[in-house]
Amino acid sequence: MVGPIASLSQLNRADGSASYKCPATGYSILGAVNAPIELPARRDALKPEEATVEVFVKPGTTTAGVGERYVEGILRSVLGKIVLGREKGFPRRGVVLTLAIVGGENVERGDSYLTILPALLHAGLLAMVSASVPLSMTFSATLLGVTKSGDIVRDPSPTAAKAAVSLHVFAVSSKNHLLLNESEGRFDFDTWELVRERALSICQGETAASADGDVSMGEGTASASLSGFIRETVEDQVYSDYAYNLDSI
Amino acid sequence: MTSSTTPINPTPPSLSLPPSQFARLQPHAYLLAHLSPPPASNQPSVRANGRATSQFRVTSANAGSLTHTNGSAVVRIGDTAAVCGVRAEILHTKDIASWSVLQASSEQNLDKSNDVGVSETHDEEDRGHIQDLNLLVPNLSLSTGCAPGFTPGAPPSALAQSLSHQILSLLHSTRLVRADDLRIWYQPPNLDSEEFRNAGEGMDVDTEQSEGSEREIKAFWVLYIDVMIISLAGNPFDAAWASVLAALRDTKLPKAWWDADNETILCSDNVADARKLSLRGLPIASSFCSFEGDAAAGWRAVVIPDAEEQKQKKGAQQRWILADPDGYEEGLSQERASVVVDKENGKTVIVKMEKHGGWTVDSDDLRQLVDVSARRWDEMKRILDQC
Repeated sequence: MVGPIASLSQLNRADGSASYKCPATGYSILGAVNAPIELPARRDALKPEEATVEVFVKPGTTTAGVGERYVEGILRSVLGKIVLGREKGFPRRGVVLTLAIVGGENVERGDSYLTILPALLHAGLLAMVSASVPLSMTFSATLLGVTKSGDIVRDPSPTAAKAAVSLHVFAVSSKNHLLLNESEGRFDFDTWELVRERALSICQGETAASADGDVSMGEGTASASLSGFIRETVEDQVYSDYAYNLDSI
Repeated sequence: MTSSTTPINPTPPSLSLPPSQFARLQPHAYLLAHLSPPPASNQPSVRANGRATSQFRVTSANAGSLTHTNGSAVVRIGDTAAVCGVRAEILHTKDIASWSVLQASSEQNLDKSNDVGVSETHDEEDRGHIQDLNLLVPNLSLSTGCAPGFTPGAPPSALAQSLSHQILSLLHSTRLVRADDLRIWYQPPNLDSEEFRNAGEGMDVDTEQSEGSEREIKAFWVLYIDVMIISLAGNPFDAAWASVLAALRDTKLPKAWWDADNETILCSDNVADARKLSLRGLPIASSFCSFEGDAAAGWRAVVIPDAEEQKQKKGAQQRWILADPDGYEEGLSQERASVVVDKENGKTVIVKMEKHGGWTVDSDDLRQLVDVSARRWDEMKRILDQC
């Protein structure tokens, strides 16, 4: 299976940006983060002691509709929880994330937004990292479909997702917490548990953190999991950013 | 010092606050004190509103409240009240730009999947028509002055829009409404009977004639499902979905047919001819929120424990999962969970499950929530059957 492709800091006007492409589902997302910025007319924010996280999703060919409002709400609640909005310089300010869907099939009115959700989550997280927004943890997300015969399919294409009996999106944090679950279709709890197990192994890999809390960095194991992929993408960017420093040593 | 002030103010102001003021000044501590009473006091752990953690508010439903709609319902869950009206309008197939293409592709599908089984293709076609032609148009309005945060007459807020989407996508994913109920057919009279054709009239129109004698779809009913939240005290989705469900169960469509002479759709004004929708199942939504005992857990500069460690520490309960949260509780919690269940022959089927906004609710808790939702299903079925 072809893994996702991601790169950081592609836009130079935004504080941080990331592009993410998932070949299996065909979606390609460009994300930009500006943080911390002054939000106009947010003096009387509901929670003045924290930063306000704002998320905007722009579909490829149309204007944003009700579906985008819904997915923005989900992204805001997931990212808002892991952004450390009380760090110095962040209270009363805004963290504004804009995600543009630049490739992949359109999500029609009333369609399920689950197929594109993992790509949006990954692009959002990488853009946050690129903008150096303080986060309490990272996460990785995956889409799983259960077919009529009961097989669990990873990253089904939009047509396969339409034919699936149930669709599940899981986001698992770097510490194995279940951060997000969105499931729809018809299923029972035992199926859900199986899918969850599968999601955990996709996101965290077979070998999770060892007893002392360190992530084992053996070759090959890191890239097998999605969290390893996120880690490698950031490592590559850090390596190229500090190349001048490494050369001088 | 105190003795010097008493002559001026003979009755010293009381230093204790009434509970309502304490609730406003220290909302988190107020709810926490209710949920974890001191062990010496021997009080049970109840929420500030007097409910147990998995107890829902008193729910009532009334169908057929609006006379000018095809179906309507008022559902009240505690202080949250939703009014839903369903209006049916006719969509002519000649007004659908892509109708001929759609029909051709669906026929192709039928040919292709003949071996798969009839019911399956029927379901697929159902989904296609309702979804592709937007035959269900739900809208939810919060701009009614339902809560202080929502100004009347304002454009739909992000919450209202996302609730509209949730209702629409749940209607689609549960396939609650059958496309068959929404179709208006035309059965041409059988003019080209055997002897008529044998007379040798018009050999060239033969193929057209035989196609024309099949019955065809002339129009669709489009259901406009409008929900107004007239009072919002937390948990708008459960109330809105219950009102949509009750209104659809109440909806009656008049008998409609294609009149070939007038070339238009005619509807019977005889109430006895009108028929109800036959819905698929009865999906019931139950929402929950997770209240964390330690308000600073999310941002204090401590390392967040691993999922496994967190599980082991569960003995000292640090969070409560509250069913059907009211507005006060929703303001104090970030993590939400929502489960939509249906029952088929006594077996619970999950139709939708979501949780986001935190990391304290995991699979063990979700299993319990599904059980709670299944019990709620029985209760809601009773309420909806009575209305």
